[in-house]
Amino acid sequence: MSRRILVVEDDAETLEFISKGFEAQGYVVETATNGRDGLYLATDGGMDALILDRMLPELDGLAVVQSVRAAGINTPILLLTAMSAVDERVRGLRAGADDYLVKPFSFQELHARIEALMRRPQDHTESRVLTCADLTMDLERRSVTRAGRTLVLTPREFQILEFFLRRVNRVITRTMLLEGIWDYNFDPHTNIIDVHISKLRRELDGPGEPQLIKTVRSAGYILSDAG
Amino acid sequence: MFLNARTRLILASILLSSVVTVSVLGIVYVTTNVIIEQETRSVVEAEITGLSDDFERLGLLGLAAAIDRRVQSSTKQDAIYLLTDYRGRTISGNLATWPTSVEPGGGWVELDLVRTDSEEEVPIAAISIRLESNARLLVGRDASGRQKFDRILVQSAGLALIAAFVLSLITSWLLTRLVFSRITDISDTANTIVAGDFARRIPVRGTGDEFDRLAVTLNDMLGRIEELVNNLQLTTNSLSHDLRSPLTRLRTHLDTLLLEDAEQQDRDKAGKRALEEVDHLLRVFANLTEIARAEARLPKSDFETVDMNALVRDAVELYAPVGEERGVNLLGVGTAKPINGHRALLMQVLSNILENALRYAPDNSTINVRLVDQDGGLCIEVCDEGPGMPDAFIKTAIQPFQTLDPSRSNPGAGLGLALVAAVARMHDGNVHLENTTPGLKVSVTLARGDI
Repeated sequence: MSRRILVVEDDAETLEFISKGFEAQGYVVETATNGRDGLYLATDGGMDALILDRMLPELDGLAVVQSVRAAGINTPILLLTAMSAVDERVRGLRAGADDYLVKPFSFQELHARIEALMRRPQDHTESRVLTCADLTMDLERRSVTRAGRTLVLTPREFQILEFFLRRVNRVITRTMLLEGIWDYNFDPHTNIIDVHISKLRRELDGPGEPQLIKTVRSAGYILSDAG
Repeated sequence: MFLNARTRLILASILLSSVVTVSVLGIVYVTTNVIIEQETRSVVEAEITGLSDDFERLGLLGLAAAIDRRVQSSTKQDAIYLLTDYRGRTISGNLATWPTSVEPGGGWVELDLVRTDSEEEVPIAAISIRLESNARLLVGRDASGRQKFDRILVQSAGLALIAAFVLSLITSWLLTRLVFSRITDISDTANTIVAGDFARRIPVRGTGDEFDRLAVTLNDMLGRIEELVNNLQLTTNSLSHDLRSPLTRLRTHLDTLLLEDAEQQDRDKAGKRALEEVDHLLRVFANLTEIARAEARLPKSDFETVDMNALVRDAVELYAPVGEERGVNLLGVGTAKPINGHRALLMQVLSNILENALRYAPDNSTINVRLVDQDGGLCIEVCDEGPGMPDAFIKTAIQPFQTLDPSRSNPGAGLGLALVAAVARMHDGNVHLENTTPGLKVSVTLARGDI
């Protein structure tokens, strides 16, 4: 069954950009151009995720989030905004949104975050051992092995690898890593995340072994078990 | 009315003091007159009763003798007596004849009569009775003394009025001169500023009075306004200058994309470049928005207790691998108590400073991030061992769009330190840059706030 998402956005071009992108990924996309229609469709049920613009005509994006949550609907919600990230993010999350993305964004970033939101419940399955291909992480003994070889990781590298192992085959963007690992929401001007990943890769990939964490062009990284 | 405020104030002050003077003297005049008249009349009435008793006891001749004695006695200069027989002939007293208009027993009369002792016509207030055998007795008081007193009172009232007029003129003139000269100072300054001279300030006279305090407050306000206007001007100038080049490049890339005979390879390259330029422009706007918000000093509802030690530890840990690639050692030293601040913006501050330090630090050197507790706050000191900054640049480095790097390789577009300064001001602190030869020391002070 294909997944259904609702996109509420008053700017026609942005709306088309988002819905075309998700349709190409095999989603069924419902759209609305104002908050009132958006709220109606959102409460109608059957949506797997909601993408709401922060500033909407007739009913503000934040108000839609609050109404949807008040109606007892737990569908994951991602807010889009043209406003500054720093405080708006906190405000959006407080209102009941699950994630937040600042305009302009790349489609890959939005897609990665929506995928992450829709699969979130899986994250709570508390397994003590995480695996991917020939990589095994034992959370209790805090040890990592690849093809029988024990890896020596710093606590931060361990944390990053765990983040990937809990999201196998999903694209992880750089901002998702900064928020998820360091719990910061600021804009680094340099490629600090890339540096951390390449450091981790040096430990992860022995000579002749295939690269486990792959770079996804203009999106981020992916840990894939396809080999 | 075309009178200015100062003239109106002076006139009002004179009018008020004149009214007060006139009413005070008027009340004095009226009350003293009434009291003196009542006093005089009761004395005269007692005297005439006493004299009619004398007449009953001693007869007409005895009464005449008593009156003669009283006239001659020097103690009562202003006393007037007249005793006549039934035909109106004078028997005794200091008046020549019985005044025709006076009917004996008719109560109090006031009239001018000639005194026989002084040969002068004087104003007189008198009362008369008819005695037995139709003799008549008149007793009165010479009122010339009292009229003289009235004249003196009126004269002094006039003098007091003139004095009050002059005094209130002088005091109100001095007072209004003081007030209006200070007001003129302020309005003159305001006019010069309106005309475009933002550097003008209201003169402070050093008297420490309310006007000085007002001037200091207004000058502080003018200083802040000037700072904001200057920043705005600088930002606008730099913005138009800094946006022109990336926009021009963007246009060139788009042109290439639309060229019909362009190679696919060139188109791909142009598209990629165009995206990079747009990302750069968006980053500039995002930075400017953050600076504007920090500068606006919004309500501190987003402030929370921030453990700066943890923040520095995280920042050092985050950036350490970037330094490691070139043998640059990032060290966090010192500790500080928590402050009330904006966590995300403070992390952005550390990030901006560390990125600058990492950009200029030579290979195999050390960058120290030191936290120092201070009175009412703390200081973050970041020292690198790089080339430092030219002295001329140090002063302007925290202003928007100032960069030492003329190429486009600086991703902060010269806004990094401007944001640091704006966030510091938001936390009632400031930024200080200092060459430590070798190296640059960036000090950011932050107020602790209400924890």
